[in-house]
Amino acid sequence: MIYFALLILVIISYLFYFIGKKRALNLKFNGNIKLSSQPDYFGYYVVLMALIPALLMWFGLLLFKGNFQEMFVMSPILFPDISTWSDGKLGLILNKLNNLSVIVNLPLDDLTNGEKSILNMASENELTAAKNLANFDKIYGWSNLTLFIILPIILGFLATRSISGKLNAQPIVEKIITYIIKGSSYIAILITIGIFLSLVFEAINFFRYVNPVDFFFSTGWNPNRAFVVDASEGFDKDDLENAFGFIPLLTGTLLIATVAMIVAIPLGLMSAIYLAEYASKRVRDIAKPIIEILAGIPTVVYGFFAALSLAPFIKDVGESVGLPVSAESALAAGLAMGVMIIPFVSSLSDDVIKAVPQSLRDGSYALGATRSETIKKVILPAALAGIMGSFLLAVSRAIGETMIVVMAASLRANLTFNPLEPATTITTQIVTSLIGDVEFDNPKTLVAFALGLTLFLMTLLLNILAITIVKKYREKYE
Amino acid sequence: MVEQVNSFAIKTKNVSVHYGNKMAIDDVTINFTKNDVTSLIGPSGCGKSTFLRCLNRMNDVIESCKVQGEFLLNGVTDIYGDSIQVETLREKIGMVFQKPNPFPKSIFENVAYGPKIHGLASTQSELNDIVMESLNRAGLYEEVKDRMDDIATGLSGGQQQRLCIARAIAIRPEIILMDEPCSALDPIATARIEELINELKEKYTIIIVTHSMSQASRISQRTAFFHLGKLIEHGDTSKIFTKPDKEQTNDYITGRFG
Repeated sequence: MIYFALLILVIISYLFYFIGKKRALNLKFNGNIKLSSQPDYFGYYVVLMALIPALLMWFGLLLFKGNFQEMFVMSPILFPDISTWSDGKLGLILNKLNNLSVIVNLPLDDLTNGEKSILNMASENELTAAKNLANFDKIYGWSNLTLFIILPIILGFLATRSISGKLNAQPIVEKIITYIIKGSSYIAILITIGIFLSLVFEAINFFRYVNPVDFFFSTGWNPNRAFVVDASEGFDKDDLENAFGFIPLLTGTLLIATVAMIVAIPLGLMSAIYLAEYASKRVRDIAKPIIEILAGIPTVVYGFFAALSLAPFIKDVGESVGLPVSAESALAAGLAMGVMIIPFVSSLSDDVIKAVPQSLRDGSYALGATRSETIKKVILPAALAGIMGSFLLAVSRAIGETMIVVMAASLRANLTFNPLEPATTITTQIVTSLIGDVEFDNPKTLVAFALGLTLFLMTLLLNILAITIVKKYREKYE
Repeated sequence: MVEQVNSFAIKTKNVSVHYGNKMAIDDVTINFTKNDVTSLIGPSGCGKSTFLRCLNRMNDVIESCKVQGEFLLNGVTDIYGDSIQVETLREKIGMVFQKPNPFPKSIFENVAYGPKIHGLASTQSELNDIVMESLNRAGLYEEVKDRMDDIATGLSGGQQQRLCIARAIAIRPEIILMDEPCSALDPIATARIEELINELKEKYTIIIVTHSMSQASRISQRTAFFHLGKLIEHGDTSKIFTKPDKEQTNDYITGRFG
C-alpha cells in the first residue's frame, strides 16, 4: 500500500511541476505580468508546497502509529485490569492481538489448524480487541493513502492559484532546498555523535566495575573471570584487577597491523610507482582497477584464506626449518590483511604521484636525470606527504579490521612481539565479548564498549593525522 | 668550408614530426650558429615549441610522437643516434621552460641537483662553488645568498625563472633551449631575463621560442619564422624584421595575422 502511495506521490509531484510552470508562463505571456522569478522556480514551488506537508504528516503518523494503536485497542472496557499491567505484559498482549488481527476476519475454511486453535484459545474480549485492531490498521492504511493523494492535490492547487506577479518563488524554493540539504548533513553528523555517545555511556558503565588504570595498564586479559562470578553478588576487586588488561590486546593489534604494513607498504608503493611512472596508459587503465578489486573482496574471504590456506602453509614452512609456529599465528592474519590493504596504499599513492606536476618531471629530465633519478629525487620527495597520508589511512584500516583476525588470529591474549606466536586483537575481543548469553550488567560484555571507544579514538586520531598531512600536501600545488 | 661546419652548434636536415597521424613539423632544415641567440617565432600551434623540444629529445616521453630527420650536435654527433645517451645529450643541451618549475627543495638543492647527478663535483666545497657560480651568472646570487636553504617555491616568479636558468647552466651545457621563458613574467622580470640572455650568449648557444616579436628583435642575432609546421624564413634578425624575403613573414611581423 505504502509503495503504491509513494509512486502516486511521485507522479503527482511531476505533474504539479508542469502545472506550476505552465501557470507562470501563462501569466507572463498571456497576462503580460512581469514575474519576479524564473518560470522553473514556480514549478518547484508548487511541488514543494504540495509535498512537504504530506511527507511531514506521514512521518508523524508513522512515528506515533504504536501510540494510536494502543489508544484505539487497549481500552479499559475490554480489559478492566489494564491499569495494573506491567509494560512487559502490555507488549505481550499487544503482540498477541497483532497476530490475531491478521486471521480474525478471515473465513474459517481458509485457516490452518494451528490458526484455528489460536482463535479458540483467545478470549471473547481479546477477539473483539483484535477486530478493532484490524479495523484500525485498515483505517490507518486508507488514511495514509488519502494523505498521500488528496492532501498534495489540494495543497498543490492552492499553491498554483497563489502564483502571481507578486509571488517571488525563487527565495522560498532556495530556502526550503537549503533546509533539506542542511538537514541531510546534520542527520549524518547526529548519527555519528549518537554512536560515539552510546559508546561513551556504556564505557562509563564498564569503568564502574573496572578501574580505568587497571584497564589501560594491566597486562592480564582473562575476561572469563568476570563471567564465573554472579553479577548480583558483586565482583571481587582482585578478580577484576587482572581480568581486563588492555595491553596484550594493544600489542596483538599492533603486531598484526605491523605485519600487514610490512606487506602492504613495499608492494603498494612499488606498484603505485610502476602504475604512475612506468606503465603505459593502457596497462594502467587495466591494472589499476584489478588491484583495486583486492579492496573489494569481502574480508571474510580473506579470513578463511588466512585461516585455512595461509596459516597451515606458514606452519609447514616454519616447521620444516625448525621454527615453532603456532597454528593461529599473527603472521598469517597479518599477511592476509596486508594483501587486503595493498590497494589503499597503491591507489592513493598512485594518485598523489600522478598529481606531481609534469613540469617537475620535465625539469628533471631536461637536466639529464634518468627516470629512476627523477622518481627518487624529485617525484617521491614532492609526493611524500600524500604517500604518508595513504600509509596512515591503511594503518587505521588495518587496526580496525575485524573479520580476518576473528577467523585467523587467536582468541587467547598473548603479550608477545613474535609474529609466529598466536595473538589476539581489540576487534576480535569485542566480537567474542558480545557473543553468548551474557547480560549487559556484566563487565565481560560491557568491556566491548570500552574497547570500541579506545579503538574508535585510535583510528580517529590516525585519520585526522592522515587527512591533515594529505591536505598540507594539496595546498602546495593547487 | 670545414670551419663553416664547426661553427654550427646544431645542424638539422629534413625534420618531420608527427603526433599520431597529425603532422606538427613538415620538412624543416635549419642550422644554429654557435654563440648566437636564435629566436623561433610564429603564431600559436606553428610547431616552434615542438621543434625546440626535438633538439634535446624531450619529445621522447610522449608516446604518440614520432620524430624523423637528421640532427647533428657540433656537426658530428647524431642526437637521435645510438652512440649517445639521452642523459648525456641533455647534459650538453640544457632547457628552460615556459613556466618556472623549481623543485620543491631548497634553493641550494635546486642548483646542486644537476651537478650531483652528473658527478661534477668531488667535494662539498666544489659543489658550493658550482652553485655559487651558477647563481652568480644567472644574476640571482646577491638576492638569495642569505637564504640558500629556503624552499625555492617561495621565490618570486622572476627569481624562480632565473633559478631555473642557474640550474640549467650548473651542469655546464653548450646549448640552452628556452621555451617562452618570459611569458609568465611581468615586464621588469622580463627585462632582467633578457639582459641575462644577452650576457649568457658569450658562453652558450641559445635557442629561444618567443611570442613577442619585440623580444626577438631585442635579444637575438638570428630569427626563424615558423608557420603551420613549416620553416618559412630564417636569417639575421635585422634582415627578417626590416626586409624579409617572404610575403608571409612580412605579414606576420607587421601584425597582419597571427
